[in-house]
Amino acid sequence: MAESKWPEHLDAVVEDFKACFDAMERYELLFEYAKKNPSPLPEDEWTDENQVQGCQSRAHVICLVDSNGHFQMRGGADAQIVQGLISITAMAVNGLSKSEVSQLSPEFVEEMGIRNSLTPSRANGFLNMFERVRSEAENLG
Amino acid sequence: MALDIQSIRADFPILERVLPNGKKLVYFDNAATSQKPKIVIDAMTKFYEQYNSNAHRANHTLAEEATAALEHSRLSISRYFGTSPANLIYTSGATEAINLAAYGWARYNLERDDVVVVTEMEHHADIVPWQEMSKEKGIELRYVPIDTKTFTLDMDAFEVALEGAKLVCVVHTSNVLGVRNPVEDIIEKSHAVGARVLIDSAQGAPHERIFFDNLGADFVAISAHKMAGPTGIGCLLVKSEAMEQMGPFMTGGSMIRRVTTEGSVFQEGHAMFETGTPRIAEAIGWGAAVEWLSQFEMREVHAHIQDIASWTANQMLEIPGIRVFGDPSLPGSSGAVSFLHDSIQSQDLAFLLDEGGFAVRTGHHCAQPLMDALGVPSTNRASFWIYNTLDEAQAFVSHLRYVCERFA
Repeated sequence: MAESKWPEHLDAVVEDFKACFDAMERYELLFEYAKKNPSPLPEDEWTDENQVQGCQSRAHVICLVDSNGHFQMRGGADAQIVQGLISITAMAVNGLSKSEVSQLSPEFVEEMGIRNSLTPSRANGFLNMFERVRSEAENLG
Repeated sequence: MALDIQSIRADFPILERVLPNGKKLVYFDNAATSQKPKIVIDAMTKFYEQYNSNAHRANHTLAEEATAALEHSRLSISRYFGTSPANLIYTSGATEAINLAAYGWARYNLERDDVVVVTEMEHHADIVPWQEMSKEKGIELRYVPIDTKTFTLDMDAFEVALEGAKLVCVVHTSNVLGVRNPVEDIIEKSHAVGARVLIDSAQGAPHERIFFDNLGADFVAISAHKMAGPTGIGCLLVKSEAMEQMGPFMTGGSMIRRVTTEGSVFQEGHAMFETGTPRIAEAIGWGAAVEWLSQFEMREVHAHIQDIASWTANQMLEIPGIRVFGDPSLPGSSGAVSFLHDSIQSQDLAFLLDEGGFAVRTGHHCAQPLMDALGVPSTNRASFWIYNTLDEAQAFVSHLRYVCERFA
């Protein structure tokens, strides 16, 4: 963790994206990841409290620490691109310790080429979600 | 004389823009803001490079040149809108113009239980100020619904809502549907019951000449940036009788005649409402924009836009899963084409269109009551203007079809 900018188990995901031919293929892959959310948050659990502010689409995130002391995030969004980014973030953070999550950098998205295909204002949607997860990791008791 | 679109395009440097992904820009977000011809950019640059100075405040050469340019623009703009300079109050845009009508006229002239009629089709800029005025003054707010089959105002409901109204606020042309409302009829019927009328022409002014004195509305709100002008400026056109009933909205410099520690005496006419340093460069830019626009016959411009919009909407309806809201072939429609795919979420679709170089708007378009009436949270919107071409529309439809086939 100290040397890598993202958890090792995310390497395969990052490689998956790096292998894409163009932006359209990356989007297609992101749509696929949207369907693979390891810890979804169904729409009936979406509330004002768990809504991520600053996303143009509706995105919701809940974070908790399980009985084993592992960080878990659950998330959902109405847009597939944001949902895909939530899935990948959940894959990154679930099972880590709170302090590992709070120190996590969002650079994996850049490495995946997503930031290249998303302008800063769109990346902000992801960054807002990512910052929310990271700050919850800092603040969870 | 037919429009020479290629020559018009040559006036807009930005239309040559190549996006970071190598795709050439196709700009279909004109209802959000239009692009600016070089003549407007040059006029503003010339002001900053050669005679930047505050207006109305000093006797040096630059100040006199700046003041003259500011007032020349007021003359050009008011002439373009078929009224006199005295009836034009510069604002930051249509939003501030409507707020000026609310806080500068309604606050001084409406009382508890007075009725203000608005419509479900309004932009938030023509809803929220009236909601706030309702809280402050206790006025009754009535909303005219739309017919969700024809996407037009329910005029029978309008006539019912009109009973006892003191003010009617209606959008000239919907930013979502492109529908042009029967504003002449609305003004006549509203005046018949003694109500004043505010027309939000932010979307109307880029598509047809608004002749304020002939139109007969009491207030018309306009934004410069949707009609080739810069951002940060617009105006409220006000009938003289209505302006006499207005009181200050914002107070401070420029709008006063005399200030003592005992109190202040305000300027009269439009000067009372133009507080602080004027938007000089922006006014000069807008003046250049209306002079540029004056070379065209707006009916021809509009016919060109409607041809592209109608063709696009018809082609889009052939794509499985696409729904189109409104009918751009309706008389007067601005050609804004709102659409939605039944399985590709609107924001996703916007990203995928952008990847092809196509700039469209996405979201609720600051018209959430209309979105509620349509039963959707958001739409995508392609909106066209004078410099767009059928070739661009064909490329857009082709990319949209490809995206829908690949991602649906």
